[in-house]
Amino acid sequence: MADLVQGTLDMLILKTLALEPLHGYGIAMRIEQTSNGVFRVNPGSLFPAFRRLERSGWIKPEWRPTENNRRAKFYALTERGRKQLKAETAEWSRQIAAIASILETS
Amino acid sequence: MPFFSKLAGAIGALFRKKQAETELDEELRSYLDQVASDHLHRGMTRDDAVRAARVEMGSLEAVKDEVRSAGWEAHVESLWQDIRYSLRMLRKNAALTLVVIFTLALGIGANTAIFSLIDAVALRTLPVKNPQELVRVEMRRIRIITSSFTNPLWEQLRDRQDAFANTFAWSNADFDLSQGGLVNRAHGIWVSGGFFVGLGLQPAAGRLIAAADDQRGCPGAAVLSYEFWEDRFGRDPRAIGSSIIFNNRPFPIVGVAPAGFYGITVGTRFDVALPICAQAVFDNTILDARSHWWLNVAARVRPEMPESHIRSRLAVISPAIFSSVIPDAWDPEGKKNFPKWVFVESPAASGVSRVTEFETPLKVLMAIAGAVLLIACANIASLMLARSAARRKEIAVRQALGASRPRLIRQLLAESMLLSICGAAAGILLARWAGTALVAYISTRNEPVFLDLSLDHRVLAFTATVGVLTGVLFGVLPAFRSTRISTAAAIKGGASLEGDRRFRFRAGKLIVASQVALSLVLLIAAGLFLRSFVKLTSMDLGFDRQNVVLASVDLKATKLAPERRSAALDDIEGRIRAVPGVLSAGRSWTTPISGIEWNQYVTSDSPNAAQGEDRLVFFNFISSGYLDTLRMPLLAGRNFNDHDTTTGPRVAIINQTMARRFYKGLDPVGRTFQISPESGKPAQPVQVVGVVKDSKYESAREDTFVTAFLPISQMPGSGRTAEFEIRTAASLPAISPAIQAAIASVDKSISIEFHTLESQVGDSLVRDRLLAMLSGFFGGLALLLAMIGLYGTFSYLVTQRQKEFGVRMALGARLKSIVGLVMRDTAIVLAGGIIAGVVLALMSTGTLETLLFQLGARDALTIALAVVLLSAVSFLAGYLPARRAARVDPMTALREE
Repeated sequence: MADLVQGTLDMLILKTLALEPLHGYGIAMRIEQTSNGVFRVNPGSLFPAFRRLERSGWIKPEWRPTENNRRAKFYALTERGRKQLKAETAEWSRQIAAIASILETS
Repeated sequence: MPFFSKLAGAIGALFRKKQAETELDEELRSYLDQVASDHLHRGMTRDDAVRAARVEMGSLEAVKDEVRSAGWEAHVESLWQDIRYSLRMLRKNAALTLVVIFTLALGIGANTAIFSLIDAVALRTLPVKNPQELVRVEMRRIRIITSSFTNPLWEQLRDRQDAFANTFAWSNADFDLSQGGLVNRAHGIWVSGGFFVGLGLQPAAGRLIAAADDQRGCPGAAVLSYEFWEDRFGRDPRAIGSSIIFNNRPFPIVGVAPAGFYGITVGTRFDVALPICAQAVFDNTILDARSHWWLNVAARVRPEMPESHIRSRLAVISPAIFSSVIPDAWDPEGKKNFPKWVFVESPAASGVSRVTEFETPLKVLMAIAGAVLLIACANIASLMLARSAARRKEIAVRQALGASRPRLIRQLLAESMLLSICGAAAGILLARWAGTALVAYISTRNEPVFLDLSLDHRVLAFTATVGVLTGVLFGVLPAFRSTRISTAAAIKGGASLEGDRRFRFRAGKLIVASQVALSLVLLIAAGLFLRSFVKLTSMDLGFDRQNVVLASVDLKATKLAPERRSAALDDIEGRIRAVPGVLSAGRSWTTPISGIEWNQYVTSDSPNAAQGEDRLVFFNFISSGYLDTLRMPLLAGRNFNDHDTTTGPRVAIINQTMARRFYKGLDPVGRTFQISPESGKPAQPVQVVGVVKDSKYESAREDTFVTAFLPISQMPGSGRTAEFEIRTAASLPAISPAIQAAIASVDKSISIEFHTLESQVGDSLVRDRLLAMLSGFFGGLALLLAMIGLYGTFSYLVTQRQKEFGVRMALGARLKSIVGLVMRDTAIVLAGGIIAGVVLALMSTGTLETLLFQLGARDALTIALAVVLLSAVSFLAGYLPARRAARVDPMTALREE
């Protein structure tokens, strides 16, 4: 279990939502699963992030029934959110490459 | 960033708050359910699953709070909360709140009032078109700059310059609206035809004076100021076309100047403007007089022309202009040098100041008022600090409930800000009143001061800045201090706060010491100004100013032929002397300390006579009753008498300084001197017939001027005006009707103005009085505030140490030693403050040097007196709490807690 790198949570949420709309718990579980349990997102950062992303117009909420028939707030990626994800992913890759090259040379 | 959608979201959230809250609740609940059902699937019991989910989630409220603060609308909301909460807290402590607001209003009000004067004098630009293009035109030779023009010189400049877009001239003058009897003054301004055009002003009604109105031989045309039109005519448009009488001559009113335009001489305002050419109506020699310096000149630059270019153009045109209008009354040396003068320009966007005399005093007062505000801030900070002790439990509880420290600090700062904003608002109201009072105070009979004190953005910005700074200054330390507490300890209360208490003492003592230091500086400044003022007022001026009524008389409205005026004035003098209650009376050309003066170079037959510039002598023409009335003793020779007539030999009475300067070691009586002749006239010898005791001529501050008195019967020209000095047993209001009747019995159309010699001398000291009074007031206020601070801090300290004192006393300590314990603390704080204060004073009072009279800015006696006064009062302020501490019964003290 590890803390997330500062500022990457938004990107991970967007990436998770790129496949399909999900509710809060689903997003948390999906991030934990796909990172093989490395990242665990606590609700104290998750829900403020939803509010932020929603404000920016990158995700859109919708109340829907869950698989076991409970009402939950699902979030879906918007067109703007998709663009944002692309931009952030590109930026992230660029930075990773840069950091990697620094680590290799030294 | 999609800013607008965010903004819309935030604003929407502010309105849909309730809905958002329920949604959030539901969202979090469903999350919790899902976590719990997951645990359930993994085989936990229902209760355990729910509990585990709760533990993982942490405090629901904390999560919600995080979510809420994710958008900026949360800040608006919490700010609103802070303000509401602060209002509640302030209302709960209404007395404290009122004291703080009142203190702040005083401090901020005083600063704002003084700043609004500085703003009006030096910062405000004229309400005219593109004021930054305006320059004042003056003349310079070597290092001397003079600004008064003669009319011929002005006309030459107007017609021959090509450096400016346009030029215009003006001169301030008083007009008498009455026709005989008591003078009714209106502030007049003579303007050139280009004045209003050059300033780019539009009339409020009718038309303004234009070039066509300012031609030689003009009948004159009057333009009223808006205020005058309002006051006298109720803004009646029919006023235009009617005529108005000045100095007994009617002028047609052609228009009204725009509202808010008071002229371009800062410190004055005009009621009516007349074209310069109309001077000829009153005196047909002035327009051509080459030695009558009465006009001011300003110009509008061409925006595209650089300053260096203007200067060089002015330098090129100057010689031809100056050599064409050489003053005829000057001596040959002066005439030779006149063409060497050069026109220079200086910025005049704020107008031309007449109240420069008050600029330095205002800045000094600003600094003093600023220091008082600082001291007040320190007091409020100690108050807040003390109160934060009382609120310790409240703050601890709020922290335990999850309020973060920044949030608490913000809330406490909101309280301070609210206080300072209220203080600033009240301060502005106070400043409106105080500013007007200040202007009225510096305004005198001869120099009425008018300043436009309407609030402008600068004054508002100043007050706002001062208000915010004050709030931060007294709010920050207590806010940070009172939130840095251990929650558990605070709720428990008691001895575990030892370290915190010590800090508060240290902070409190530091605050008090700096208050002592600052108030000492103010006391020293006040002491300097007060002693300087006392020296000025108690000084022997050489004449007795008490019980002397001055009557200024003008014969302009009478039909008397010029050659009969002297006899009429003699007649008036005799009739005044006969009025019951009049002890003696005299008559003169000017009165002492009036600002009206005449000087000439003098050569004498003495071998020890002064040379060069020292030959300048100041003159007055007096009647034989003058010296007696002013109680100026003759030391040698005789007074003037009836034999000193126009046809007789010319005689003079000189003062001691002149006797020393010209006749050192000789008996001056019987000697002669010559007044440097006006061109073309032969110099006439003047014989000294008497020596009179020294007296001040121009101001109380002067080194006595070299003065000679000549008999008024030998005064050249046809004296149209005269000053009567009347020593009376009664007060001015009691005797003036009788004197007025005596003068009217000679001719009803004579105009008269009364005042007293004492008020005339007082007026000349208005700047010193202002400084002495205000610095004394502020110094006293500073002392009072510092003592309240000292008393408060030590009272608090003593209550905190009550238990310790109880133990000491139970162990046998005497009352004296307990008092001594507290007084030692007081002495340390005081010593620190005094040392810092003296150092600060020595560093800063140097700037006061020029404002003081016969007193050094580092005068040791004044500093010593201030230190003694401050120490005495401080010991008292420290002694009271110490005594109270020592009086407490040890048992009571020990039982506490």
